[in-house]
Amino acid sequence: MTRLLIGIGAAALAIAVLAMAAALAGHSPADVVGVLFDGALGSPLAIRGTILKSIPLLLTGLCVVIAFRAGVWNIGAEGQFIVGAIAAWMGSPYGTIASMLAAAVAGAVWSSIATAMRLWRNAPEVLTTILLNFIAVHILGWVVNGPLRETSARYPQSDPAASALPQLAEIHAGSLISIATAIAAWWLLYRTTEGLRLRATGLNPSAARHAGINVPAQIARAMAISGAIAGVAGGVELLGVTHRLFERLAVGYGYSGIAVALLAGLHPLGSIASALFFGAFVTGAGELQRTSGISAAIATFGQAVVILAVVAAGALLTSRKPADA
Amino acid sequence: MRHAAAVLTLVSLVACGRDEAPAPPSSTSSPTLKVGLLTPGSINDGGWNAIAWEGLQRIRNEMGAEVAHQEAKTPAEFDEGFRSFGARGFDLAFGHGFEFQDAALAAGKLYPKTVFITTSGTSVAPNVSPMVFELEKATYLCGIIAARESKTGKAGVIGGIRLPSIESTFTAFKAGAQSVDPKFDVREVFTGNFDDVGAAKLATLSLANAGADFIFHQANEAGRGVFQACSERKIRCFGSNKDQSGLAPDVIVASAVLDVPRAFVHMANLVRTKTFEPGVQYLGMQEGIVALVWNERLKPTVSPETVAEVERVEKAIRAGTIAVPRGF
Repeated sequence: MTRLLIGIGAAALAIAVLAMAAALAGHSPADVVGVLFDGALGSPLAIRGTILKSIPLLLTGLCVVIAFRAGVWNIGAEGQFIVGAIAAWMGSPYGTIASMLAAAVAGAVWSSIATAMRLWRNAPEVLTTILLNFIAVHILGWVVNGPLRETSARYPQSDPAASALPQLAEIHAGSLISIATAIAAWWLLYRTTEGLRLRATGLNPSAARHAGINVPAQIARAMAISGAIAGVAGGVELLGVTHRLFERLAVGYGYSGIAVALLAGLHPLGSIASALFFGAFVTGAGELQRTSGISAAIATFGQAVVILAVVAAGALLTSRKPADA
Repeated sequence: MRHAAAVLTLVSLVACGRDEAPAPPSSTSSPTLKVGLLTPGSINDGGWNAIAWEGLQRIRNEMGAEVAHQEAKTPAEFDEGFRSFGARGFDLAFGHGFEFQDAALAAGKLYPKTVFITTSGTSVAPNVSPMVFELEKATYLCGIIAARESKTGKAGVIGGIRLPSIESTFTAFKAGAQSVDPKFDVREVFTGNFDDVGAAKLATLSLANAGADFIFHQANEAGRGVFQACSERKIRCFGSNKDQSGLAPDVIVASAVLDVPRAFVHMANLVRTKTFEPGVQYLGMQEGIVALVWNERLKPTVSPETVAEVERVEKAIRAGTIAVPRGF
C-alpha cells in the first residue's frame, strides 16, 4: 500500500515539476500537461505509441525487478537487450518461437558472465553489468558493420529479420508476451518456493544462508532469469518494431527499466502500470516537441525525478523506522 | 546549488521551444507549407543533427513555412513522428538518417499527400525518396589539384570510419587525380573513428613519410590532427564538408564544401512548387549544395594553369559532360 502511494506520488511529482518548469519558461502549465496527456492517450495513434513504447519498458523493468529482488544490482539490461536482439535476428530464419528462445538464452548468458565474475572473483555486478553494456554496444556496432551488414552493404544495418511477430490492430504480439512475463514473474516471486528463496536472498543473504539456501546458486539463477527477460525485450523489439539491427537499436530501454522497476516498488504487476506511465510520458513528450518545440529530453528528466522521489521516499521511511537488527 | 542547476537544466529544456514561436510573415502563396523534421539525436550536437535543424529553420525563415521538429531515437518514435506529421496534413517530412527509411515507407503508404525524405538511403516510393549529397563532385576536383601540384606524385587520404559515403569521396578523389596522371599514387588510411585527433595526426605523418605531399581527409573532428601534421611537415591538404581554411590557413589549399541546410531548403522548394519527382535525389553542384572553395590566401601559390583547369572541369561537371565516379 505504501509502495503504491509512493509510486503515485512520484509520478504526480514528475508531472508537477514539468509543469512548474514550463511555467518558468513562459508556457502555460495547463497547456503543457494537456498536450502531454493528449499526445499520450488522445488518439488511436497516440495510444498505439504509448503501448508500443511500454512493451520493451515493461520487460526491462521486470528484468530489473527480478534481479533487485534477489539483491543483485543488474544495471546491464541494456546490454542483455542488445545481445537478445542480435540472437533473435540470427534465430529469425527458424521462426518467431526459436528466435525468442535464442533471445532469452543470449540475455541469460550475457547476465551470467557478470554472475560468474561475482561468484569467482567477487567483482561487483554493478560495475561488470555496466561494462558488459559497453561491450554489447560495440559487438552490435561490429556485426552491423561486418558480418550481418545488409546484403547491398550500403549502410551499417542488417537486412530485415526473416520472421516477425504477429500484429493485431498494429500492435505486435510483444504486448501479450510482456504481460504474460509480468504474470509469470509475479507467480515466480510470490507463489513458488524458488521465489521465496529468491526474495529471502535479496532481503538478507546471511539469514538465507543459515536457513539453508544456497545463496550463490540462487543469485546465479536470478541473474539468468533477469538476463533472459531483458534478452526477450530485445528480441520482441527487433521482431515487433525495428525488424533490422543497427547501431542505435538500444537507446536506454535497459536503463529506463530501472525507473520502471523502482516506480513499481519492485512489484511485477505494478510494473505494468509503471511501464505504461513511462511509455505514455515518452509518447506525450514526443507530441509536446512536435507541437510546442519543447525538447523531448524532458521525458528523461521525468524518469530522473521519479527515481529520485522513490529513492528519497524509501530512505525517509526506513530512517523513521530504526532497523530491527 | 544543485537544485538550482537542475531547475535551470529543466527550464532550458522547456525553453528550447520558445525562440521559434514568432513565425515570420508568410511571403509565399497560401496555404502555408508545413514541414516536419525527425532527428535521431539532440539538435545541440553541433554536428549531424544541428545542420538538419538549421535547414529546418531556413525553411521557416526563407519560405514562411510552419515547421515542427522531434528528436526521435527509437524506431517506434520514427514511426510515430512520421505518422503524426502525415495525420496533421504536413506537406513534407524529413527523417535525418538512413535508419528512417523503413518508417518513411510505412508512413508514405498511409499518407500519400505527404512527401517523406530521408537523408541518405535507397528506399523510393511515389512519395518517399532519399537525398544523397554528391560531395564526390568537389573531391574529384581536389584530386585534380593534388595530382597537378604534387612534386612527389603521391597523395594520401585519411578516413575515420569506413563508411560507404566516405569511401565514395575517396574513389572520386583518386579518379580526379588519375585523370591528370594515371600513375598518380593515392594511399588510403582509416583510423577507425571520428574523434581521435592523435591517431589522425599519426596517420598523416606516416603518409608524409611515405612521400605524400597532399592530404585529403574525411575524419570530421579528428581532421584537426591531419592539419597539425600537415603544418609540421609543410605539406598541403584539403578541408572537407565545411570551408576549413581558417583552421590551418598555411596548408589548406581548398575545401570540398557541403551545404546541408541548403539541401533541406532545396527539397522544400521542390515540394512547394510541386516539382518533386520520386527517386534518389542526388544533390550536388547544380543545386549549389556542393562546391570547391579555395583558400584565397594560398590560391596564388597554385599554378594559374591548375586553377584554370579546375574551373574548366567544374563547368564540365555542372554541364554533365564529365561524369564523376561514385563509390556506390
